[in-house]
Amino acid sequence: MAKAVLDRENIKLNVSIATMEEGIRFTGGILVANGYVDAGYIDKMLEREEMASTFMGNSLAIPHGTEDAKANVLQTGISVVTVPEGVDFGGGNIAKILIGIAGKNNEHLDILSNIAIVCSDEENIEKILNARTEEEIMDLFSDVG
Amino acid sequence: MAEGRNRARIQRFGSHLSGMIMPNIGAFIAWGLITALFIPAGWLPYEPLAALVGPMIIYLLPLLIGFTGGRLVYDFRGGVLGATATMGVIVGSDIPMFLGAMIMGPLAGYLMKKIDQLFLDKIRAGFEMLYNTFSAGILGATLAGIAVLGIGPIVNSLVNSLANGVEFTVNNGLLPLASIVIEPAKILFLNNAINHGFLSPLGVEQAATAGKSILFLLETNPGPGLGILLAFTVFGKGISKSSAPGAIIIQFLGGIHEIYFPFVLMKPLLVLAVIGGGMSGVFTFVLLDAGLVATPAPGSIFALLALTPQGNYVGVVLGVAVAAAVSFTIASIILKTTKDVEEDLTVATGKMEEMKGKKSSASEFLTPGAATTSDGDVLHEAGAVTSTPGVKATEDVRRVVFACDAGMGSSAMGASILKNKFKKENIDIPVTNTAISQLPEDADIVVTHKDLTPRAKEKLPQAEHISVENFMNSPEYDKLTQRLKK
Repeated sequence: MAKAVLDRENIKLNVSIATMEEGIRFTGGILVANGYVDAGYIDKMLEREEMASTFMGNSLAIPHGTEDAKANVLQTGISVVTVPEGVDFGGGNIAKILIGIAGKNNEHLDILSNIAIVCSDEENIEKILNARTEEEIMDLFSDVG
Repeated sequence: MAEGRNRARIQRFGSHLSGMIMPNIGAFIAWGLITALFIPAGWLPYEPLAALVGPMIIYLLPLLIGFTGGRLVYDFRGGVLGATATMGVIVGSDIPMFLGAMIMGPLAGYLMKKIDQLFLDKIRAGFEMLYNTFSAGILGATLAGIAVLGIGPIVNSLVNSLANGVEFTVNNGLLPLASIVIEPAKILFLNNAINHGFLSPLGVEQAATAGKSILFLLETNPGPGLGILLAFTVFGKGISKSSAPGAIIIQFLGGIHEIYFPFVLMKPLLVLAVIGGGMSGVFTFVLLDAGLVATPAPGSIFALLALTPQGNYVGVVLGVAVAAAVSFTIASIILKTTKDVEEDLTVATGKMEEMKGKKSSASEFLTPGAATTSDGDVLHEAGAVTSTPGVKATEDVRRVVFACDAGMGSSAMGASILKNKFKKENIDIPVTNTAISQLPEDADIVVTHKDLTPRAKEKLPQAEHISVENFMNSPEYDKLTQRLKK
């Protein structure tokens, strides 16, 4: 049975993360643990970050694999990690919301666009960071799941 | 560049300081209220309740700060260690240890984190609990001990010399000069660093003995900002004139001072007006011996009045009024005599956000105001008449393309957001996304991250290029939407 793209288990709130690499490994680790990608995907995520930052503005970073990491993706999934203290994603860009993405067959473009519209609103960023339960995040991204 | 990095560093430091203070402001105000009411000089002198004043300021407030500071670094485990270590500086000193708590809290959290990183994965299964409790216990006991013997006395003398400096300026009537530093620093968003990191800890000490402190009024006086906004209300032009009255409500009544920062950044000479307002306000406070019982946060006129002790109302109100009047007068002169083209408020807001390093909650109020006035028409005309290479006339825009390196991530997100905005305004222009290498020939406007714009221009020189820094929330999106709206 296919898992939901965004599951309760894919959300980790108020995590303390020291470095960008730790953040990417953590976000990717959730995707591995819940069976969306194989372990090799994390290396591809780190490789992708080397090429160009996935920091998007509004305290949001969306670490994901490279183009050729498609083979590592078992099924489309996203993980959401909130880091209220923030983590430096290079160049002084502080990310507080990390959204790990694994997309298959361009399914991820719909997800991305939903995330983009939710996160372009500063108020929603606050809501995400202030969320106390995974359910609140699920509701905010309800169109995604 | 280096200057920007330093500023960012100071701001981060400031936000770290305020991150330790802000969550505990409730406790500070509780203490302030108890002090105002029950100390011998208060409204309802009552000794049994006044007994709270000392222990709260000596123990409760520093411990809360130490806990919060440790927790910022390493969650609850860091918080517990932070509070434990802070106890050391409290015992090792004879003054309220706010600065000590701000140092020990994060330090203890950091050390716990490092120790855990060293040992945690070497602990055998079943022994985690034992490790967790005893490692924290040993570290906590060690830090508290070191703090009593070493750090407490050092911080003690540091605070004493700072306090002596402040006392010197107060006694010699030099305090108004502080505004020369405070007012410009506020506009660079160092307000929290100055207020919560320096002025309020010293003020709290003064208030503990004297029942009030003028230091609480230095940064929080809403008068200078009010003067600027009033001047814009009367003598401003266009958007700034129309948004100033609303900004007054947010600033003066709501206490969100950052709303007026863009107005000053728009015309940097106006910094003279806020300095002048600040100085004359402080001068009035000094003259009338006015003070507050605790830090008003935010700096709203209501918060100020609520924390004004008996017999100080005239001084506080006059200080605010004088500051507003002086700031208004100087700002009006500057606004009337400088003839240069007024910089767009949205540009100034963008500048402010750049300085702050993030989107400001206050600027949301400013930018929509900018969008609904005649601004759109002016831009539209400029585009149609001049048809300079670069800016396309509205009727010539048939396709907007977002481009990024691979065409998978950031450009897709940016395109979704703009598409959404266009839809809301019924703009019927397709927005797509692609990799720069595959930019279509018929794209009329190309939006790229500023680092990639040169490459995009090379690929498609005839198109109009828009650079953004923040894909999620660029002011450019709203500008483009307004421009293309029929």
